[in-house]
Amino acid sequence: ESVLRPAGVAPACLVPVRTKKRFSVPEWARELSPEEKEKRLKSSGTVFPEEHIERTFYLACTADIIDPYVPPEGDARLTSLSKDGLKQKMEKLKQTAASQLALRKIKDHDPDFSTKTFPEKAQEIFIEANNYLANFNKQKLHSLVTERCYPEMVRGNRYKTIRWSFVESLEPPRVVHVRCDSIVNRGNLYGQVTVRMHTRQILAIYDRFGRLMYGGEQAPKDVLEYVVFERYLVNPYGTWRMHGKIVPEWAPPKEPIVK
Amino acid sequence: WLASSSLFPLSCIHTSTPLQNFGKWEKKNRIVYPPQLPGEPRRPAEIYHCRREIKYSKDKMWYLAKLIKGMSIDQALAQLEFNDKKGAKVIKEVLLEAQEMAVRNHNVEFKSNLHIAESMTGRGRYVKRIRYHGKGMFGIMKIVRCHYFVKLVEGPPPPPEPPRTGFDQAKEYVQQLRSRTLVHTL
Repeated sequence: ESVLRPAGVAPACLVPVRTKKRFSVPEWARELSPEEKEKRLKSSGTVFPEEHIERTFYLACTADIIDPYVPPEGDARLTSLSKDGLKQKMEKLKQTAASQLALRKIKDHDPDFSTKTFPEKAQEIFIEANNYLANFNKQKLHSLVTERCYPEMVRGNRYKTIRWSFVESLEPPRVVHVRCDSIVNRGNLYGQVTVRMHTRQILAIYDRFGRLMYGGEQAPKDVLEYVVFERYLVNPYGTWRMHGKIVPEWAPPKEPIVK
Repeated sequence: WLASSSLFPLSCIHTSTPLQNFGKWEKKNRIVYPPQLPGEPRRPAEIYHCRREIKYSKDKMWYLAKLIKGMSIDQALAQLEFNDKKGAKVIKEVLLEAQEMAVRNHNVEFKSNLHIAESMTGRGRYVKRIRYHGKGMFGIMKIVRCHYFVKLVEGPPPPPEPPRTGFDQAKEYVQQLRSRTLVHTL
């Protein structure tokens, strides 16, 4: 014990004299080994379940066009000369294996799909989407256009007035390219269909002060477009929506003439 | 998300001190005019810009704002560059920002084709602090801030009004005398 009290002397009284004691920790404050800690926790009865705060997100559309369709050169320019040749080429392209496979997969999920009726519906969706863009009806535009296409269509347009109208369709629209792909998990299928449209449209964009920026109201222009439509196949309530446009390399968008 | 000064658990009311409190001047940039018919004269573009809470006095800033009013933007920038006041640097930055905004967002063709239609100063938030004097005396000093507002309009600056001469005043006086009529008479 201590130097001042030899071991043989009996303690006279329990007076708390300040003696030099070696540092000792009381029993209840001692560090426990992990097993003893577990025992104590279990005996007290509190159980803390592990809470993972997970945020689920829902992918309603793919980020990009899968396998973009490469339109043949001079598509709308040489129709008068070699019409038959182009038509044959188109049909051959349609019959490529990948397109056929994808088509079959889409028909599995959606039996009503057919390459004959779909282009008309697609054109209707296209016209309606552009009309809603001109009037700027956000809710309906979101239902007709995927989330990837929406910012592309709408960027920079908030303070501008757009006037768009559809005059006529010069050639009947045609399905040109079909692809089916799954992202993140296998079986999470999205189908993408490219439709070729040759139409006549009127576009006029006015800036914030009502001055004409691009286009003109009296000048209809002939437009050849390859529009990609997408649908989330696994979702039974999914609809075909506009996903984007394919710009061919031989016809890049020209710099618009600012008036 | 909770970006309001008053943090109620259920309601998230935006009071006047969130990150970006849009005053009336900033909202003036958002009005959209309907498209003009082809026969009408082209409407000149108007760009509103402002800077808030500049550490400068509003009275001292007023002199610079009055200097600039009515000048073309190039002339204004030149004058501010060689002015010795502290506010001149700030106003120059504001004008350059507004010019860039005009060209990029508001479809203005030439960046020198702008003139300053209005330029005003306003009082910012003042803060009171203690200014320590000798012998334990103190004064309350105000830390003074101001806002600066500018409106750029496209087009050459309007010609300055000719000053009123005595001849004009005399003409008006004679006109008043001539336009008198007799009332309540036959």
